[in-house]
Formats: sequence, structure tokens, C-alpha cells
Amino acid sequence: MNGISEILSFSFLAIGPTLALVFTTLVLLFCTITISTPVYIKKYISFFGILITLFTIFLKFGLFAREGVNSYFSEKILVDEFSLVGNVLIGLILLLTFNSFWKTSEEIDNKTTEALILVLMSASGFLLMVDAENFIMLFIGLEIGSISLYALAGLNRGDQLSNEASLKYFLLGSLASCIFIYGVALIYVSLSISGVYETSIAINFIGPNNIPLTTLIGLIMIIVGLLFKVAAAPFQAWAPDVYQGSPTGYVGYMAAVAKASSFIVLARLSAISLRFIIDKFDLFFTAVVILSVLAGALFATNQTDIKRLIAYSGVIQSGFILSGISFGVYGISASIFYLITYIIQLIGVFTVFSIISGQLSSDFKISNLSGLFKENKFLTIAFSVFMLGIAGLPLTSGFVSKFILITNLWSYEKYLIVTVLMLTTVAGFYFYLRPIWVAAIEKSDNAIEKIKISISDKVLLGFMAALTIYFGLLPNTLVNITRWMVENYL
Amino acid sequence: MNAIIISLLFVPLICSFLIFIIPNSRKEIFRPIGIIFSLITLTQCFYLLFSDFGKTKFVILSNYQWIQSYGLEISLGISGMSTLLLLLTSLLVFVSLLSIGSEHAESKGFIGSLLALHFAVNGVFISGDLISLFIFFEALLIPMYFLMGIWGGENRRYATIKFILYTVFGSVFIFIGTVYTAVISYGTNRALALDFDTLANLEFSSSQSRTLFLLFTFGFLIKVPLFPLHTWLPDAHVEAPTAGSILLAGVLLKVGAYGILRVSIPFFTEGFITYKNLIAVLSVIGIIYGAIVAIAQIDIKKLIAYSSVSHMGYVMLGISAGGYLSIEGAIIQMINHGITSGALFMLVGFLYERRHTRNISSFGGIKITMPKYAAIFLFTSFASIGLPGLNGFVGEFMILMGSYDHYKVLTSIAAFGVVLAAIYMLWAYQRIFTGPISNDKNENLKDLNIRETLSIAPLMLLMLFIGIYPSFIESFVIQEAGFLSETIALFKDVN
Repeated sequence: MNGISEILSFSFLAIGPTLALVFTTLVLLFCTITISTPVYIKKYISFFGILITLFTIFLKFGLFAREGVNSYFSEKILVDEFSLVGNVLIGLILLLTFNSFWKTSEEIDNKTTEALILVLMSASGFLLMVDAENFIMLFIGLEIGSISLYALAGLNRGDQLSNEASLKYFLLGSLASCIFIYGVALIYVSLSISGVYETSIAINFIGPNNIPLTTLIGLIMIIVGLLFKVAAAPFQAWAPDVYQGSPTGYVGYMAAVAKASSFIVLARLSAISLRFIIDKFDLFFTAVVILSVLAGALFATNQTDIKRLIAYSGVIQSGFILSGISFGVYGISASIFYLITYIIQLIGVFTVFSIISGQLSSDFKISNLSGLFKENKFLTIAFSVFMLGIAGLPLTSGFVSKFILITNLWSYEKYLIVTVLMLTTVAGFYFYLRPIWVAAIEKSDNAIEKIKISISDKVLLGFMAALTIYFGLLPNTLVNITRWMVENYL
Repeated sequence: MNAIIISLLFVPLICSFLIFIIPNSRKEIFRPIGIIFSLITLTQCFYLLFSDFGKTKFVILSNYQWIQSYGLEISLGISGMSTLLLLLTSLLVFVSLLSIGSEHAESKGFIGSLLALHFAVNGVFISGDLISLFIFFEALLIPMYFLMGIWGGENRRYATIKFILYTVFGSVFIFIGTVYTAVISYGTNRALALDFDTLANLEFSSSQSRTLFLLFTFGFLIKVPLFPLHTWLPDAHVEAPTAGSILLAGVLLKVGAYGILRVSIPFFTEGFITYKNLIAVLSVIGIIYGAIVAIAQIDIKKLIAYSSVSHMGYVMLGISAGGYLSIEGAIIQMINHGITSGALFMLVGFLYERRHTRNISSFGGIKITMPKYAAIFLFTSFASIGLPGLNGFVGEFMILMGSYDHYKVLTSIAAFGVVLAAIYMLWAYQRIFTGPISNDKNENLKDLNIRETLSIAPLMLLMLFIGIYPSFIESFVIQEAGFLSETIALFKDVN
């Protein structure tokens, strides 16, 4: 028995976080169908599950320190810097959004447990996705994660927008999954491999100039499947509708977790699988980056719904992050920095929205923000910090991430992309400042309703706003972490 | 010394936080707290002025690791020009805190934003590397956005967005310039060292120098503003509240010229020599254009705004001439314009608080009801026009004299700006103050009270002091102007 497990390199620790989350969902399920459990106990169970997940992530660092970069389960699961950072990121997202998604789930009648299970299951899927070395494994993780997200989007059955969001997300998402799995199949057909490392070895073996066209197409299809998840143009069409329609309390989690894990996987693909042929994808990535930032900026300008605005801004940010990922290793470290800081701001913004407009609400007009400053100064300040962070104003982390990213791009001599990105930043100030104007400055007659904000929300928002400013003033630690991530892949 | 430099940043910031923390029930102490803290900064600036660094060219005093793996450092330093501008800033913050009416003085947001602005401006003037310069340059926008947005006039939304977008558009060029410089610096030093000492030793090829000069200078010129880029200024001034206008005209415009003197000229001298004629022509157009447009204004604030375009044109002319005298004159003119235009905006603010209009046509003959105000306004107008014996004359005279060697025709044209200044200022004075009282509402206007007189008095004293004893202020900029003109002259000799 011992021998076999060693050959297969069996290690439950390597998928510990995923297992912990799945186990939590099983306990929750058990509590629902056998004994009638009070709701607050379920809350503690799921919170405890998340804590255990974080602990197993911590243990994984021990595994990494002992074994180094290593694959497990006969090269299905990989423990490397990317998976560790991805795990931490997803754990952090769960922790930061716990308050929102818990309250949202509580508000949905009779479906509290289902909602919680969906959230935790999707997180487990995405954890598996960032851990996967094999493309099939990656696909399984992606699907477990995504399908839960499709359901989450439509959980508020009484709301038409929510149904629409769910259906759109499901149909387009399945199409993207098809493209992804077709790409995997093409690679397998041409090279008889389906792994992240195997691809790079095979490409090195045949030589970058002799790669079959099918492999290239397959790789592009895999990338397209992932780009869909991060809503980079021209695969962004679902994002605004889904963000607008889904219950506000979930959107922060949905957006953050899909973006984080997909970008981590994209970064790993770029650093490992494509390392010898990254220049062949230059044109493709350049086109996607430029399209994303331009389309995002154009559409964001005249949005009246703020969730759609943030969705289009997400398209722009995807373009920014992708620009670093696609051009070399230091760019990847800059992109991961950008990703981490952006995700904190994104979650912060949606937490603010869910507090103002209610967890289950779908559309949220910019004009609904008016009078916010009078009603709640803390929320306004936190909201302004997040928006200015996304806009990239100095003293916030948004500026540092943009600076590092642009410096890297410039040193790779990507002048066209730098120009487009900077112009978008200027345009961004137009539409990022508008909600702040409405929330903080404009005097309006129809004052906002009384806002109740719990202490835990206050602490969370304060923490995220503080992080946004902290990384803007003293980014050294986080930059070092992201540099450590990529050091072995130079 | 180090501690004083850093505290220039932290004293206004702490004060700003303090005011945000104090509950609204104690609104009467907002203003005193702000005044006390700005006096602390003022004292620090005086200490700096008479320290070893009050007369030197830029000296970096402290370094802090910012991003280790990129070799990025934050450096802080000081020079003669910076010290003067810091002094001007804290003086203007002090007097504007004193001058604002109770409506603004009892709002914690207003005073807090004012001090946050003070923090950012101080940051610009003491930053010793491109990164911190850029950070503070952009950070200016946040308090200015709220000052104009919340307490501005009718059309404030348009003006604020225009102001922000113009500045951000300009700063994008500075940003790209910074990135480009960083990459060049990385090639030599293996680190993204951007402090001014490193940059001074860095070799730029001539095309790099030209590109970088254009990038940085374009960004700074929007802030100055130079002629075709000035259109945000009148809108911003008209809509900004009085204290915002004082600081906008008095300090924020100087940030642009300061950036050119601090970054564009010493590091990218070749680019400067290539493009200085263009800048000179544009600044002369700005001088004449601003003055002519000012004549036609019916809004007093807009008139002073256009006069700022004209006066800042002199500064740019002096800078682009590049001689010792002209650069010295430009620096002195920066200080002088800060004092006079700040005073003019404050005076207009007093009038606006009483009548809630700024239309010249709704006044007339108010000399009878407000004699003290009329006298002060005339005095300040004379300083703005450049009457010998007052401060405006010193800077403009030095600029015109210094530039004449380099641009004979342009300087001759620019000299007419002084005549035009006399036309628009004195004509406006005539329409507002002289003759019989044409409007019934003006019959019961109250003259300036003690607080208002006290807040304008320091500025008037300075106008007179600089006017009759200019060598005092000159002594602080001699080294800096000498260094800059030598850099330019040296470069001309080499080529």
C-alpha cells in the first residue's frame, strides 16, 4: 500500500484545502437533510470550514518547504508558488466575502444551505483549478467552480434580472467551457500530452519552430476559455448582465474568485507552458489587451447602473492584468500584484453596494448613491478609497500596481500597449469619479434610506480600505511576495 | 533637519485627521486648530529659510526604501526655491483659513481638505525623486476635487471634471516620462533609481532627452498653464470657493513651473534647448492673449483668472530665456504672483460674501461705502500691474531685462502685457469702485472687519517689503538660478 501511494505520490495535504471545503459542504448537507439545525449553527459550521481551509493552506506551505515544487497524484496536482498564492488568494476572498454571502444566503427563503453549499463548492472547484497540473483536472476544477457560480447568479428566483443573469452566464459559460475542452483535446491529439509541464517539455523537444498548428490553436482555445472567465474583451459580453442581475451580496465573491483563479492559471500557463513560444502569442495578447481596455472604457462611460460600470471597469482591469501576464516573467509578478490589490478593491466596492442596496437586490443605479455622505460617512469614505484605488490615484495601491506594470511593459518595449493603457487611465477618471461625485458631493432631495451597517462589515471594510492605502504607501512586502513567486521561472 | 522636513508632511496631515475626528458639535474650534497647525508649518518654513539649506540648490536630505526589489527609493530634500514656495504655501493656507467666512470655517470637510491640500503641496516641494513628485502632484487632485465639488459655484460639476481631466491627462505624460526615465536609469544603475542626484549623473542621448523633456514639460505646462492649455483655469477659478481659488492661483499654478525648473531643465537640458523657442513664443502669446481676454471679462474672478494666464506667461518666458537674470526673475515672479493673485482672489471673495455676485456691472461707486476695501484693492491691483515699489514690478522687470538678451522681439511684445495689465485692472477698479453708487443694494455694504483686514495684511506687507527690498528674496534664489542658468549655458557651450 505504501509503495503504491508513493508511486502515485499520494498526498492529501496537496489537495487539503479542496478537501476541507468539500467536507464542510458535506457536513452542511448532512445537517440539512437529517437533523433540523438552527441557521446560526450552519453559519458557524461554514465559518469553521473556511478557517480549516486556511489552516490547510498554511500546512501546504510546510509541504512546499519540504518538497519544493512537486506534483502529486501521478502528475495531476501541482504544488508550486502559483498554487500557493492562488490558494491564499481564494482563502482570503472567502474570508473577506464571508459576511456578504452569509447575509445574502440568510435572506433567501428556504435556500440558505443550498446557497452556502454552492459558494463553498465553487471555492473548492477553483482551489482545485489553481492546483491542477493536468488540463483535464483544470477543466474539472473550472467546471465545479463555474457551475456553482451559474446557480448562485440565479438564486433569487423571484427576480427576472437574476434569472436572466444566470441563464446568460450559463449559456455563454458553457460555450467557453466547450472551447476550453476542445483546446485540450487538440493539444492531446497533436502531442499526446495534457499537462502544464508536459507541454513545455514537448514544445522544447520539438523546437519552438516546428510546433504543429493544432497545438497552437489548442493553446489559444485554452487561453480563450480562461479569458472568458476573467471577462477580457471580446469575451466580456456576459459580465455586465451577470454583475447587474446577480444578487449583490454574491457578486463580489463571484467576480473576485473567478478572476483570481483564472489569472493565476493564466500566469502559470504563460510562465511554464508557453515559456518557449510566448512570442508567438504576442499579436493575440496585444489584440485582447487593447480590445479589453478600449471596449471597457467606451462602454463604461455611459453606464447608469453602477454594477455594470464596475463590470466594464473589470474588463479594463483584466486588460491591464493580462498585459503583464503575456509579456515575460517580471510582468507576471507585476500582474499578480495588480490582481491582488484589484481584488481587494473589487470586494470592497461590492460590499459597499450590498450594504446600501440590500443583499438580494439586482440593479443598482448610480443615482441611488446620492445622499450617501449625509447618511453614512464611513461608507462614503471607504467607497471613495476603493474607487480611487481602481482608478489608480497615487497614495492607493492602484497607482503602485499601475506603475510597476507600466514600468515592466516599457522595459519590454511594448509602447503601443503602454499608450493605450495610459489613455484609458485618463478616461477612467471620468467614470470612476462620477459615482464618488454622486455619493459624496451632489446634494439631492431624495435622501438614501437609513443604512444599517454591522460591526463586522465595518471592520471588514475598514480593513480592506486600510489595505488599499497601505499597499499604496508601503508596497514592499507584497512586491517581494510576487517577485518570489516568479523567481524560479526566469 | 531631517525631522523638520518630514514634519512638513505630517503636521498638516495630522491636523487634517484631527479635524475629521473632532465631533461636529464643536464646530467653532475647527478654524483655530487649522490656524495653529498652519502657524506651526509657517514657523518650520522660516526655520528652513534661515538654515544652511535656505539658499542652496537642491540637496537630498533623507532616503527611504520604497520597493526594495525594484531599487525604488523615496527621497526628500530642500532648496532655496522650495523653501520660498513652502513658505508661500503655508502663508497662503494661513491667510485663507483666516479669511474664509463662517459658512466654510465651520465645516470640517472644508478645513480638512484645505490642510490635506497643504500636505500634498508640501510634498511636491520637498520631494527629491520623480516618484514622490508624481505621487504628490496627483494627490493634489483629491482635496481639490472635494473643495471645488462640494463648496464650488453653480457650474461646479463641469469645472471640476474639466480640471481633473486636464490635470490627469497631463500627469499621464509625466507618468510615462517617469517610467521611461526609470527604465533608462535601470540600464545604468541596475535599479530604478529616480532621485535627483542619480538623474543628474545619468547620461541621456539627445533623442531621449528631447522625448523626456516633451513628456514632462507637457504635463507641467498644463498645470502652469501655458497658452493653448489654459482653458481649464478660468472655469476652475470661477467655480472654486475663495480659499480654493487662493491656493489654486497662489500655489497650484506654481507647481507646474516648479516641476519644469526642478525636473525638465536640469535633467533634460538638450530637450529644453530644442524646444525653448516654442515655449517662449507660446508664453508671449499667453501674456498678450490673457491680458486682452481679461479686459473683456464681466466676472471679476474670471478677470483675475485670465490675468493669471498672463502673469504665468511671464514666468514661462523668463524660464525659457534661460539666462541667469531671467530665471531668477521667473522664480521671484512665481512668489509674487502667488502673493498678489492670492490677495486679489481673497478680496473678490470678501465682496462675493457680501453681495453674492461677481459681476462687475452690479457694482459701481462702492468706494463710498467701503473705503478701506477700495484702498486695499487698489494697492493690490497696483502690485499686480507691476507698479515700481511693489512686488509685481521686481519679477516682471527682471524677467523682461533678462529675456531681452535672448528674445529681443518677443520680449518687446511681452512688455506690452504690463500696459494691458494696467488697462484691465484699473478699468475694472474704475467700474467697481468709482462714480456714484449705481445699485441700491450696494448702499449698505459693510467695510472690512478686523478678521478680514488681518488676513489681507500679511500679504500687503509682503508686497511692499519685496517691492522695496527685493534683494532679500533674491538672496534665496541666487544659487538655484545660477545653477540652472549654468547648466543651460554649459550645454550650449558643449554643443
